[in-house]
Amino acid sequence: MRKKILLSATLMFFCVLQLMAQKTIKGKITDATTQQPVANATVIVRGSTVGTQSDDNGNFTITVPNANSRIVVSSVGFDPQDISLQGRGEVSVALKTTTSSLNEVVVTGYSSQRKKDITGAVSVVKVKDLESIPASTAENQLQGRAPGVTVISNSEPGSVASVRIRGFASFGGNEPLYIIDGVPAGSLLGINPDDIESMQILKDAASASIYGSRASNGVVIVTTNQGKPGPARVTYSMYYGTQDPGKGFKDFLTPQEHADLTWLALKNSNQPLTSGQYGSGATPVVPDYLLGGSSSGLFEGDPAVNPSLYDLNFTKLGDANYTPYLIVKANKAGTNWFKELTRKAPIMNHNLAVSGGSPDKSKYFFSFNYFNQDGIVVQNFYKRYIVRTNTEFNVKKNVRIGENIQLYSAQNNSAGNNGEGTEIGNSYRILPIIPVYNINGDFAGTKGANLGNAHNPVANRWRGKNNGNTFFAVFGNIYAEVDFLQHFTARTSFGGGYGYGNSFTYPSIEYENSENTVTPVYSESFGKGSSWTWTNQLTYKNSFGRHNVTALAGVEAVEDRGRGITASRQDYFSFTNLRYINLNTGSGTQSVGGSPQDPAALYSQFAKVDYDFNGKYFLSGTIRRDGSSRFSESNRYGYFPAGSIGWRISEEPFLKSVPWIADLKVRASYGEMGNQRIRPSNQFTQFSGSAGASFYDINGTSNSPSQGFYVSFIGNTAGKWETNVTANAGFDASLFKGTEITFDIYKKKTKDLLYNAEQLATAGGTASANPPAFNIGSMQNWGIDLGITQRSYFGGQKGVRMDATLTFTTYKNKITGIAEGVPFFDQDAGEGGRLNGVFTRNAVGHPIASYYGYKVVGLFQSADDVAKSPTQDAAAPGRFKYQDSNGDGAITPDDRVFIGDPNPKFSYGLNLNFTYKDFTLAAFFYGIEGKDAVNYVKWWTDFYPSFQGAKSKDALYNSWSPDRPNATIPIQENAGNFSTNGPPNSYYLENASYLRMKNLTIGYKLPSDFLKKFKIDRFYIYVQATNIFTITKYTGLDPEIINFDDRINAFDAGAYPTVKQYLVGATVNF
Amino acid sequence: MKKYLSLIIVSVVIVTCLSISCSKSFLDRQPNGTLDTTVVGNQKGVEALLIGAYSMMDGYSSGAAFGIGGWESAPDNWVYGSICGGDAHKGSDAADQPSIIPIEAYSADATNSFFYQKWRAVYEGVTRTNVVLKVLASAADVSDADRKRITGEARFLRGHYHMEAKKMWNNVPYIDETMTDFQVPNPKTNVPNTTDAWPQIEADLQFAYDNLPELQDAVGRANKWNAGAMLGKALMFQQKYAEAKAVLEQVYLNGKNPAGVKYGLVTNFADNFNAATKNNLESVFAVQSSVNDGANASNANYGDVLNMPYGGPWDCCGFFQPSQDLVNSYKVDPVLGLPDFDNYNANPVNNDQGLKSSDPFTPYAGTLDPRLDWTVGRRGIPFLDWGPHPGYDWMRDQGYSGPYSPIKDVYYKNQKGTLTDGSFWSSTVTAINVNIIRFSDVILWLAECEVEGGDLNKARDYVNMVRGRAANPLGFVKNANGTPAANYKIGLYIAPWTDQALARKAVHFERKLEFAMEGHRFFDLVRWGEAEATLNKYLDYEKTLRTYLSAAHFTGSKNEYYPIPQRQIDLSNNILVQNPGY
Repeated sequence: MRKKILLSATLMFFCVLQLMAQKTIKGKITDATTQQPVANATVIVRGSTVGTQSDDNGNFTITVPNANSRIVVSSVGFDPQDISLQGRGEVSVALKTTTSSLNEVVVTGYSSQRKKDITGAVSVVKVKDLESIPASTAENQLQGRAPGVTVISNSEPGSVASVRIRGFASFGGNEPLYIIDGVPAGSLLGINPDDIESMQILKDAASASIYGSRASNGVVIVTTNQGKPGPARVTYSMYYGTQDPGKGFKDFLTPQEHADLTWLALKNSNQPLTSGQYGSGATPVVPDYLLGGSSSGLFEGDPAVNPSLYDLNFTKLGDANYTPYLIVKANKAGTNWFKELTRKAPIMNHNLAVSGGSPDKSKYFFSFNYFNQDGIVVQNFYKRYIVRTNTEFNVKKNVRIGENIQLYSAQNNSAGNNGEGTEIGNSYRILPIIPVYNINGDFAGTKGANLGNAHNPVANRWRGKNNGNTFFAVFGNIYAEVDFLQHFTARTSFGGGYGYGNSFTYPSIEYENSENTVTPVYSESFGKGSSWTWTNQLTYKNSFGRHNVTALAGVEAVEDRGRGITASRQDYFSFTNLRYINLNTGSGTQSVGGSPQDPAALYSQFAKVDYDFNGKYFLSGTIRRDGSSRFSESNRYGYFPAGSIGWRISEEPFLKSVPWIADLKVRASYGEMGNQRIRPSNQFTQFSGSAGASFYDINGTSNSPSQGFYVSFIGNTAGKWETNVTANAGFDASLFKGTEITFDIYKKKTKDLLYNAEQLATAGGTASANPPAFNIGSMQNWGIDLGITQRSYFGGQKGVRMDATLTFTTYKNKITGIAEGVPFFDQDAGEGGRLNGVFTRNAVGHPIASYYGYKVVGLFQSADDVAKSPTQDAAAPGRFKYQDSNGDGAITPDDRVFIGDPNPKFSYGLNLNFTYKDFTLAAFFYGIEGKDAVNYVKWWTDFYPSFQGAKSKDALYNSWSPDRPNATIPIQENAGNFSTNGPPNSYYLENASYLRMKNLTIGYKLPSDFLKKFKIDRFYIYVQATNIFTITKYTGLDPEIINFDDRINAFDAGAYPTVKQYLVGATVNF
Repeated sequence: MKKYLSLIIVSVVIVTCLSISCSKSFLDRQPNGTLDTTVVGNQKGVEALLIGAYSMMDGYSSGAAFGIGGWESAPDNWVYGSICGGDAHKGSDAADQPSIIPIEAYSADATNSFFYQKWRAVYEGVTRTNVVLKVLASAADVSDADRKRITGEARFLRGHYHMEAKKMWNNVPYIDETMTDFQVPNPKTNVPNTTDAWPQIEADLQFAYDNLPELQDAVGRANKWNAGAMLGKALMFQQKYAEAKAVLEQVYLNGKNPAGVKYGLVTNFADNFNAATKNNLESVFAVQSSVNDGANASNANYGDVLNMPYGGPWDCCGFFQPSQDLVNSYKVDPVLGLPDFDNYNANPVNNDQGLKSSDPFTPYAGTLDPRLDWTVGRRGIPFLDWGPHPGYDWMRDQGYSGPYSPIKDVYYKNQKGTLTDGSFWSSTVTAINVNIIRFSDVILWLAECEVEGGDLNKARDYVNMVRGRAANPLGFVKNANGTPAANYKIGLYIAPWTDQALARKAVHFERKLEFAMEGHRFFDLVRWGEAEATLNKYLDYEKTLRTYLSAAHFTGSKNEYYPIPQRQIDLSNNILVQNPGY
């Protein structure tokens, strides 16, 4: 087992400086059950800042102030012991396996607390469990691990998942605040998951509002590994595996079937039975060749397909007078484009960590991580190197100086996710009759008659294989702490990040498509960003008899800024020679753009008091005052108060005698959190000019427009904080049979919600398309977070040990206001140009991102049926019959209704860990229940006229005809209209609930006696499979559908699927 | 303890510093890359704002801050003016741009995104003119002459933008600079659409006419004479023929472009639609288009980006395919060379519908108005300098959309890359100007004025002027060997028009032929009160060819105007009132 000890740089809060006579004692720590030594246990002298750790043999040495000092020994998984030395110079400590995790000390906002004393809603994530999901970023690993946290993982390597804590507080910017070693970060991408020592999720105001204006979406507190006193300990861990893309989309029609469907549609539309590929006449004929020069639908022996005519001269492409002569054979068996686009892809991770230190003097942690994940889509990868050093020096007895810093370097080539324009999108849009390559081995595509306008997705990937992004970043902090006046600690920390990114797209020229991109462009961009946070805080901790008080106060300043530049160039003498191509070597049009980011700053004061009486009654209060540059001077400062109470009932006499309750605490909290995620320039009215927006060729030159200005932004000087009022009630129970329950119920209301609601167009396009944020909306969430852990032994303490954790998350979101008189706004997920309307409507009284449209009640069966039904545009037999919702006898936009909700009723995760002797077995299940999705892929595949492309089997075999009256798919025609594929309607809606077995790991720890011969402390090997099965009714690629805007949810245009992975891994300590 | 006192003090100092003295300036952060009113509030700034106001003429704006409009708000109104006027069909294939299908079938509802985009683009134009006027008021360094000129140009544009809205929706709010404030929500701009906007549009254009100079420093600027033409247009739309005649006659007699060149008809009809010959003497007012200018085609004729043939050498997109009805209209009497106003759809011009490019086909041998082949691309006839139109191979889905291609907005092969944008994803954005008013417009409006209350012979002379230009064989489409590409014939109206109704028919039909595919037809039919009858007759014929129009019907007293975008009604809190019938 990797040692994960919850120890932090804030150890000093529990310590008091001692200047009295000292004594050194020795000790040995063992596991009471197994009698094995316990390494890395923490030993603290009670009431001081002195602490150390046990070595691999469980031994420790510590200097205590006097012979009667008390020491506290703790280690994860064991109950801490408070030992009175009573003059002993040597102690042996047998730690009992814990029945409760409540004694863990966890880091929360600007402080740390015993878990059992927390009165806010805080989820302590079991970091060790996270590691069982191989992923480029820890957000993906968080899914199902913490109640109250909804994660939609992003399966594209190197991409950030959607993490939402307790629903949605706003229409955008709902990402939680990540605090890594006290420094805010935008996401966990770029943090080595192996470096994470602890993770806490602050969910309610009592725990989070100390982060004030940035807390309304919850806070994820991450602490990275700290050095453990003792000799250098080296940990090497690795895994290697393969990812299986799976089968992909449901089978599409074969070329012959597609020809049959074409004839069916033409017949149904009374159009001539003719096609550029399938000939003319009663029966369609699949051709031997799709293209020969400018002719289509050709057969063997046709002079046009004589290979000697083939001509593709790359240097002449793009020349108006040059037309290549391409010959493309039909793939009569049908190309499985998903299969061609994907591959079995490797994933690997190597991690080397060194940790050590000398007690009371210094400690260090160093790690190096290499992670390399290829995507299942060809030429798609993410590669990363991270080096971290965390050190701390005790420069004086009471002065500590340290740093936590990492360097991050990454490269990737992105494949995009969930869009009809991505390669996965093109894999369902392109006809299977088209082969990947033409007769000469060049790419084949949609060029030719009636082959649609998709792009060959394989060609796109290969052309883009040298494209990519590189990132480099430094992130971390340096800090100093001073203990003084016995009860005080002062701390100053300066931290932040500086990063830059570079991305480049190499020119390519297309020839195989019906709609070729003919201008090869090289483009490159650089961007850099920096952010710093300076925190100064003072902590006071004392006990007066049975009264315990911790108080802290601090000030903090934050600044963000960034710059970027993009440039592109056209016309390269050669664009196959990559080393030739840069921005200088092109000869054609160049363009340059710059994008300095508007700076933003935050200046804050905060304070917190925790009080408890005898560990029984708890009272806690926090307040933060934030000043933000994002608001005008008059509204610049906001106050965010919160308070909580707790009552450990189990300490009361009437419960003390209840044998099955070990610990029971009820708690309640109330408070306010804020949100300031608006553009930094929100208050400023601005003029600007850009070639695209405001230049005009007033001189009629055809190529040299004159500079013009326009109002590019209208500022809102009245903007102020968005406020989130949260009430929370819950309990933490520890029962004697190894059960722990944490339950919370909450209500969260956002008022003065900052939203850039569309303004009337008569106020100008800027106001209409790019309005400032106003405090106009409101929203509420309520829900239940439940976590249950159960630790059991089967066959006694030496038998099988089971650790089971169940998390259960619900949120019920409701929009309660958008803007004065504005009952809703619609959000386009990209379908707006395809359908007449969009699926997603955010409306008052409904959950965020609900689906809206016509409700299909069936298909018209006959002309008589049409006549008897409410009037409907383009109504005809075999087409959709919509619900006349308002009963006025006519189908109009007023008949649209809310047809679905992508917010799940609940989600859950079940983690099971079994340990037997040296074997471990871990299994993890995750599920979502009661979630709707829009399977937009069906628009492309189930309707013949939705562009020429792959069509579903259902379109041919299960579409309406007079002899298939029970069909659910409309009659296939070569015309789109209101009653078929025109508007958003309930046809596309599917149940996206699922249960997935996310992980199964079998591990084995090599016997330590054997390992000792090689001076190895521990050697653990495992085999693992992830995403083994998914139970769902969803017919698309994957029911886990990520969208990148909270105003849209579960809209599936071909999301990058979650796939099976098979891995082997090992961890060695020495 | 003294040892640590210093540290404590340091901490306290830092805390104090940050909390009191530093925080104010620390939190004052100005945005980058932008200007404020104090910087633009001078002549240079106002002139640039005025250019910005012109730049919405193309109905399209893209940039870092926001994008607005597109082909939905094309200045040539190809959907609202031409397709709905019966010149053309949506074209392309069944799935692309499905929002046009109900518009074409006159069944579009108020939620259709096309109306919404057009509305937004038009009012962005209005806003930009108002910003010019507002900032001008605070600019102290502007001379009286310049102030008059700038005001004139801004009000000219404001009149034009409002007229665009007026044509589309009839009941539209008129927004002036007193209602424009750099503060939203802006209740001042939430004005009802129940007051007729014509008087204010007329006032803007009258002001421009009265105050703008004849000569301007740039060919694209509004001057006195195009303001006069625009005023005439506004009067024509109000059937104020006498007033229109007065101003249009002045334009006709004295009108010059900003460079001082007297207006006239160009010899070659086709020069009006060629990027290489733009801003000629016939161009009264046009949207200037530029390409390869670093704007990624945003200043080009973006509104027509879709309106090219498809397949073969074309990158995209196969929209805006002329109707059979339009093609038939160009048939002329073999002897007189005159059109048949009522029965032109009898004995239609034959086409290659259902034939592959490899199948043999002989184009129509009957007599045709030569303007047909500068208006409609059809099988077998040279298509600009691209060689003979191959028919099927240049159609995206001939069975769905028919056998014809647009041509007036299409670039020449020899212009590819120079007068088309090379930075865009396809070459289909061009430097072809969008004609808002051609001099032949002025002439035919005058003909109308004479028909409606003047001299029918004068009317006939005006019409003959336009026909005479078209009759010049120099301007015919020619085969590679120099022979005319078809049996062209066009005659003048020699016999006097004795009957006003006949004269009216002739003038109206002449506008159809002269301006087909230029976005005017629907609006002309509406202002003449002929839309319902003409368009239902058109549908009766055309729906037999385009089956997707089988249920289409023009409803009188409703479809003359488009629905106010529902979203705008919602945002206005129902201050805006929907048009009748929707």
